Amino acid sequence: MAKKKKPIIDVDIHERATYYDLVPYLDNPWAKYITDADWTQEKHLPYPIMGIDGLDRADAKSPDGRPAGNSLSFLQEQLLDGVGHEYGILTSAMDPSPSSMHGFYGMAEALAPALNDYEIENWLDKDDRLYGSVHIAAQNPQAAVREIERVGDHPKMVQILLPIDRTPWGDPYYHPIFEAAERHNLMIAMHHNEPPSYYGNYPRYFVEWHSVMPNTHMVQISSMIFNGVFEKYPNLKLMMLEAGFIYAPALMRKMDTQYKYLRHEVPWITEMPSETMKKHVKFSTQPVDELSKEEFEQFVELMGSDEMVCFSTDYPHWDYDSPHNALPKLDKDLEDKVFAENARSFYPKLQAVGGKVPL
Amino acid sequence: MKTVVCKQEELEPGNMIEAKLGPIPIVVCRTLDGEFYALANKCLHQGATLSKGMICGAAAPTDTPGEYDYIKEGEILRCPWHGIEYDIKNEGRMLADPQRKLKSFNVDIEEGNVVVSR
Repeated sequence: MAKKKKPIIDVDIHERATYYDLVPYLDNPWAKYITDADWTQEKHLPYPIMGIDGLDRADAKSPDGRPAGNSLSFLQEQLLDGVGHEYGILTSAMDPSPSSMHGFYGMAEALAPALNDYEIENWLDKDDRLYGSVHIAAQNPQAAVREIERVGDHPKMVQILLPIDRTPWGDPYYHPIFEAAERHNLMIAMHHNEPPSYYGNYPRYFVEWHSVMPNTHMVQISSMIFNGVFEKYPNLKLMMLEAGFIYAPALMRKMDTQYKYLRHEVPWITEMPSETMKKHVKFSTQPVDELSKEEFEQFVELMGSDEMVCFSTDYPHWDYDSPHNALPKLDKDLEDKVFAENARSFYPKLQAVGGKVPL
Repeated sequence: MKTVVCKQEELEPGNMIEAKLGPIPIVVCRTLDGEFYALANKCLHQGATLSKGMICGAAAPTDTPGEYDYIKEGEILRCPWHGIEYDIKNEGRMLADPQRKLKSFNVDIEEGNVVVSR
């Protein structure tokens, strides 16, 4: 008898829109900036991506020559069917965020709705297993809120993707975005994009930058916690994508200790930061650190909760994690939680829709 | 157990070809000096198919930070996912962790055919 496959909910899949894919969804002059002026986002990261095929797995180009992540049918073949996903959460490969706009915010405000419409029409409406992220131009919270109001009720939009940039997300400047998230039953996620890793700068080597990605995630979590975001928005939950999870226990202890010393500065905080994190923050596994089963369990034990870690592949990127080989073989209860149940409980809309394409 | 992979001239130096030795997926690599090597076609890290990666060279270990010396051109097999490097001519050892190596197989040329056996 065939062995029953474990359910997999993959919380970080990068479907790819080329700029030209977005042209039909853009008004002028924004469309013409792409078609006539060959506009592309300026990126900050100074290094080449060191994989064989740049940012992508070298085996993820579709047979018709389209770039990795651009073809739904090939993504279905190589990932969803090939692995056997129950659900996947799309996080795109484009970032209309402050870090890559340098003040050209009108373009970001045009791109975000175009990307959302592209995602709905070409991906969410075409595969029951795929769920989506609302992309926003974060530098303009009013425009971001308008976009959340426009597409946030789509049954398969489960979260808002927030860029990691210079202003940490606990800042009240951003709070209207959280209000909108709560109104639409959306969670929030942050994915590392190209943040500098120290004092606004980049280290000499990519391997340094890539090794300390958790730094920037810690800044965001600490900002959200100590600015009282989760007290103010009790239904809001945060998924931290693509820095792994083994930094979490250290951050939880550090914040609890500091809170005991410095509570007088943040009297709106009413419980230990680690307790807030257990209720409101989850972490994707990828890029997973190589751990034995015992080591994996120890990190989970130090977090004080086995409900905070969610599996992700980061497909089709070069540091993809295989659901079958990246993690040690875990006991069934923990395996079920990491590979599916923690993500299922994180996204209320995932539970509500249950994988049916909305009519 | 043995298998005929291809004709000798079908695999140019600097290229590789995937095949099976019985149930075992293998990759046959031809280095620039014309020699053939057969290795297990599965990365030791997460099992990616190595023949989807590339044959290239590598920066030699050095005592001097900032110094690069590219060596072994055509002798390094690099994984298509995380880019882990294996030394084809040195028993398929992982450059970053030479204690670990890919399983290797015998290659013979028989009547112009590349034949892999174990």
